[in-house]
Amino acid sequence: MYLNVLRYLARRVVFALAAFLFFIVAIFTLPRLIPGNPVDVLVSRLVMQAQANPELIHAVHRKFMEEFGVGLPLWKQFTRFVAQLLRGDLGTSISMYPRKVSEILALFLPWTVALLIPAILVSWAVGNFLGVLIAWRRGTVLDRVITPILLTINRIPFYWFAMVMLFIFAVYLRFFPIGDTYRWGLSPGLNWNFVVNYLHHYALPFLTLVVISTGGWAIGMRSMTIYELGSDYILFADLLGLPQRRLLAYAFRSACLPQVTELGLNFGLMLGGSLLLELVFNYRGMGSITFQALSTLDYPLIQGIFIVLAAAVIAVNLVVDIVYGLVDPRIKVT
Amino acid sequence: MKKLRNTRLIISTGFFLSVVALGVVGPWVYPVDPFSPSGKRTQPPSWEHPLGTDAHGRDVLAQLMHGIRTSLWIGVIAASIATPIGVLVGGISGYKRGVLDELLMASTNIVLAFPPILLLLLVTVFVPVRTRMVVALLIGLTSWPLLARAVRSQVMSLKERQFTFLARMAGLGDIKIVLVELLPNMMSYVFSSFVWLMSGAMLAEAGLSMIGMGVTADVSLGTMLFWAQMIDAVRRGLFWWFIPPGGILTIMSASLLLLATALDELFNPKLRGR
Repeated sequence: MYLNVLRYLARRVVFALAAFLFFIVAIFTLPRLIPGNPVDVLVSRLVMQAQANPELIHAVHRKFMEEFGVGLPLWKQFTRFVAQLLRGDLGTSISMYPRKVSEILALFLPWTVALLIPAILVSWAVGNFLGVLIAWRRGTVLDRVITPILLTINRIPFYWFAMVMLFIFAVYLRFFPIGDTYRWGLSPGLNWNFVVNYLHHYALPFLTLVVISTGGWAIGMRSMTIYELGSDYILFADLLGLPQRRLLAYAFRSACLPQVTELGLNFGLMLGGSLLLELVFNYRGMGSITFQALSTLDYPLIQGIFIVLAAAVIAVNLVVDIVYGLVDPRIKVT
Repeated sequence: MKKLRNTRLIISTGFFLSVVALGVVGPWVYPVDPFSPSGKRTQPPSWEHPLGTDAHGRDVLAQLMHGIRTSLWIGVIAASIATPIGVLVGGISGYKRGVLDELLMASTNIVLAFPPILLLLLVTVFVPVRTRMVVALLIGLTSWPLLARAVRSQVMSLKERQFTFLARMAGLGDIKIVLVELLPNMMSYVFSSFVWLMSGAMLAEAGLSMIGMGVTADVSLGTMLFWAQMIDAVRRGLFWWFIPPGGILTIMSASLLLLATALDELFNPKLRGR
């Protein structure tokens, strides 16, 4: 019995590693597909954009020739790339030369985590509750009105909704600050002043993310619960004369399982959405740094961001799979 | 119950077609150049400019009509690319099973695990000039996995039905069974998938354009939002500029999704609930 669980877990871990390897190979290959020397191209973009002084450009050029391993055979470049990665070395930023990419990411990543994780958990809980409620009242006016509304909310572009929320609640009504992570001049720390100020800035992006994600969860939960309510065991329980409330509770429990798997899939989508949303709110997390890296074509930084985000997505999916394996009794027997 | 389905179908089709009409017929009725200034800068809506002007004095309504065309075009092309790939991968996977299935599904899950916007950005970074076709191609090539998974499970269940056994007993080859026996049974599903893929592709295009990584040298609904964001239109209160593109995008995408679910329920009685 436990052998099955172990086999399941081993498969998931192997899959996660394979997915990460696939991504690493893609990240490694893409800049090397540029005809000619990738470093020349990357640095020449820097010259066009910033018109930095020639000495700096020479230093940058030398540095990246070494980091990319230009001139070495491809397999050697790849093993170097992987070795650097394993040491946690993501290279040096071009646009913020000579700062290390890992340093820059360590500065921005925590703010995105603080925004994204609570928003996902809250929207998951609220959405599932709403979904069960609608499934229970399926076919009634409530269902007919709310379901299309939820479907619509699910399709609102994150970025635009953020703009609208910012316009209504910060620019027009002035309930919230018009952007930024915390007031200029405050230094992050666990003191009353900072926490209150941070939460004031945090509230609007957080609410935007929660509102927009709730729709998808509720729709998923609705159809899952309706499906479960139609299954034989519920019918049997109904014939036994169990109270409706109990039936709904049983259906809810079974319907929750697929929603756990969805959590992993949706994490990627919400991550992408929150990156865009951060830009609108000037919230200084991964979104802002991604945009900066893209607009300055800072390839090492772009690469570092992608590696970290891909690792996060894969890790979350792995954790979700493991939790699922432990929760779902079917995996123990098959 | 029957009435409800029809109203949802009619309402969603109605919304979608009116937006399409705005994009297709609009530019004839309202022939203003969306690319060059036609008035003063950042003018609020007036008789002359029904949706005002942007920070360069270009007409917002004209841009909107043009943007609808771009979004629709990309949506249709991307969905036309993603649908066959999804059906093919899912079909082979579900019909053949075995090692091939494991491999195909593993690669499907890998693509599925990444945020689509990251996959798209990763590639667009290296394509400095992006035409509509390039963007549509990129979106199409990254949006098939969900469909592949769904088609796979459909094929797996259809394969066990009696008519497939009969076809096999009659001596039909694999390819013929898939094309003649299985595919027609899934056509309705494939069609509604095309509709939701289109809805997703238009959102993906907007997401790319919103950070300046979409179609270069063209106007789409996403590019309008990108420009508005660059000029800080929200904090300057230029609501006529940034509200319409996102609103239209939501209406188009949501009406397509509603249409897809209504079609699903129409074709598949099991989904209707009780």
